[in-house]
Amino acid sequence: MGVAFVAHCLLNQNSKVGDGAHCAGIYSPVVDVLRDKGWRIEQMPCPELAFTGLNRFWAVREQLDTAAYRRHCQRLAAAVADMIAVRAGQGEDIVLIGVEGSPSMGVRITSSDPARGGLPEWPEGTAELTSGEGIFIEELRQELGRRGIAAGLGGETHALPDHDELTQRTRLESLLGDR
Amino acid sequence: MKPDERSFRIALVADRYVNPPRGGLDALPVLAAAGWGAMQLPADDYPAEIAARVLAEVTEQAEEFSRHGYDLVLVGDRDGLAEALAAAGLGVPDRIVPSDAAALGDFLNARPAPPVSTWSWLTPDSS
Repeated sequence: MGVAFVAHCLLNQNSKVGDGAHCAGIYSPVVDVLRDKGWRIEQMPCPELAFTGLNRFWAVREQLDTAAYRRHCQRLAAAVADMIAVRAGQGEDIVLIGVEGSPSMGVRITSSDPARGGLPEWPEGTAELTSGEGIFIEELRQELGRRGIAAGLGGETHALPDHDELTQRTRLESLLGDR
Repeated sequence: MKPDERSFRIALVADRYVNPPRGGLDALPVLAAAGWGAMQLPADDYPAEIAARVLAEVTEQAEEFSRHGYDLVLVGDRDGLAEALAAAGLGVPDRIVPSDAAALGDFLNARPAPPVSTWSWLTPDSS
């Protein structure tokens, strides 16, 4: 058992980009696994919500990867790392649970398209998912590294086209069980 | 594409209802059943300076939701929250300190639907 720092939207789908909310509010499949395993839940801030707002367009990593957005993510990452340091100092195991496919919160899969910009008229289904991590997760991982704090990393997959709830649950249980 | 299913309803939730002590009220399944999102407030055992930073981030996000007409409520309380909200020009949302799950569910379900007039571009059957 330990403490899971979860992406904001896993407890609040209202923070998602428009047309991206998969349920009314709390995404229960992740909460259920954490409860079953006895893990404490801590919600991370949504880095996109406060910076680009609720009316933001769907975006890929390259569009968000500006100096200003990096500074914003670094500020948030420092605040989250402060909380993680407290829990790690109490001897708790730590895992981070991001959201695969997100340009900010992706752990192993992010969204990328170097050509995207200008008038938004790209066709539905453009292949933007690619291996890599989102900007906030990258900044947080680096911040924890500077502090010498180890954390497990997992990504929730409900935004991916091949999402399978049982597979996702098994992966999450494995991440938590390995610690 | 699947319709956007957001509820436009968010509860600021004290940590003791997110990570309840033994025998305490777990608010998350109640919120999920009622279709509300949660914004977790920092636990009471965080040092004051860490809690203040977290409350500032929570406030910044609450401000964005409030600006767009989302309904906000407070479940429980957190020292410093009122001051953080006031610094952004926000009042403390309607609040409940629930005695049990039924009381919380009744409180949430009695709220009127938020107007959210600026979101007309969402898929029509989503709100």
